[in-house]
Amino acid sequence: MTWKRACAADEVAVDSLKKFSVDGVELVIANLGGEFRAIPPACPHMEEQLEQSGICAGGVLTCTKHLWQWDLRTGEQRGPAEKPLLMYEVRCEGNDVMVRIDEELAYEYGSEDDDDFEW
Amino acid sequence: MSVTIRTKQATYEIPCEAGERVLYAALRAAVPMPFECASGTCGTCKARVKTGQVTELWPEAPGRSYLKPERGEILMCQCALAGEGDLEILVPGAAPSPPEPTPAHREGVLTAGERLTHDVARFSVDLDAPIDFSPGQFVLLQIPALEGYRAYSMVNHAEGPTRLEFVVKQKPGGGFSRWLFDAEAGQTPVGIFGPLGRATFSAAENKDVLCIAGGSGVAGMMSILTAASGADYFARHRGRVFFGVRTLNDVFFRRELADLVERAGPNLQVTIALSEQEAPAGDGAIRFATGFVHQVAGEAMAGRYEGSIAYVAGPPPMVDGAIRLLIIEGRLPASDIRYDKFG
Repeated sequence: MTWKRACAADEVAVDSLKKFSVDGVELVIANLGGEFRAIPPACPHMEEQLEQSGICAGGVLTCTKHLWQWDLRTGEQRGPAEKPLLMYEVRCEGNDVMVRIDEELAYEYGSEDDDDFEW
Repeated sequence: MSVTIRTKQATYEIPCEAGERVLYAALRAAVPMPFECASGTCGTCKARVKTGQVTELWPEAPGRSYLKPERGEILMCQCALAGEGDLEILVPGAAPSPPEPTPAHREGVLTAGERLTHDVARFSVDLDAPIDFSPGQFVLLQIPALEGYRAYSMVNHAEGPTRLEFVVKQKPGGGFSRWLFDAEAGQTPVGIFGPLGRATFSAAENKDVLCIAGGSGVAGMMSILTAASGADYFARHRGRVFFGVRTLNDVFFRRELADLVERAGPNLQVTIALSEQEAPAGDGAIRFATGFVHQVAGEAMAGRYEGSIAYVAGPPPMVDGAIRLLIIEGRLPASDIRYDKFG
């Protein structure tokens, strides 16, 4: 188990997203209003960079490319989204946002296996 | 010739004409396909060739930035079946229900129309048979002088019209608009594929209508407002239209919008937002405001979004601003925000 400091809590405004590199692992921190979430930086649909394409509002993440949405509290998809969000465990220590990174989380956008449709 | 298309849900074997784009062949066979622009920019129709060969029709298509070519990924809208062999394609993306009405290839005759401003002009296409389309939809046009298809939203709406009306804005480097603006007045045969597009209106929506449009993005809104007005929709629902241009000289469709307001009564409000000029006084039917259209809409709509269905069209930064407004301020669910992604 490896807990690492991602950023200071006041580096990410409420209802916003910001990308950080933590020991070479890129991730996006979302501020839900004192509660933080850490997710991979790209949309699970078409790899849009969520720091640019994403909107964090009222605990819901929306990627503006195709309006895929997720409940940021749980990572569950809403509406047209087809995949849940992958999430790193997060805790706050003082003013630091700490993220547990055991391995880099990444979506399956494609597979080397022709018959595998999970891509 | 035929193409086999495998999605997560099913396998389809569809007929495909020589040189026909794979996406168009699938759509006219009513196969559910992921797509948005159908013209090479958005990347939504990406798929993978499993067996067979395709011809890449636009190797520089902006949407190709979403592909991993080493995996055999293609844009279905920019690939045609090559040679006589079989083609098998794997489609990974979400495939919503196929477009209604089912799109088809058609022939028509394009007539250049009047200039509406210094850089916006009308044009129309006459078809040899009536076409059904939903208000807010677009078609893809192919003119003989240029490669590829370009997407244009219909301005008009009627039951099974044989004439489609459009507007085009002259853009630097825009091949179609330069051709249209420079063309000797006359009539040109064109290829048409469509109708397409999911940012549509139906009188069965039973919600207030909010339109946010920039520049020539107002085209589809005119179709929606015409259809809504024809169904007497604004007797029971509010319509709020925000149309953004730079200056007063860039305004077009002012008379048409005023006519719609006159017919609809007080439930339809039209505001023209000028981003680079102080707004003049309104004239009763049309209001004016100063600012970017999504900002003007945001000020006017504060606290009034509930029960609305929103339509958005225009230049990509304006569309992005409007989407952010509708989600952050409006708290509208994604299902009530409609736009066709062209970027």
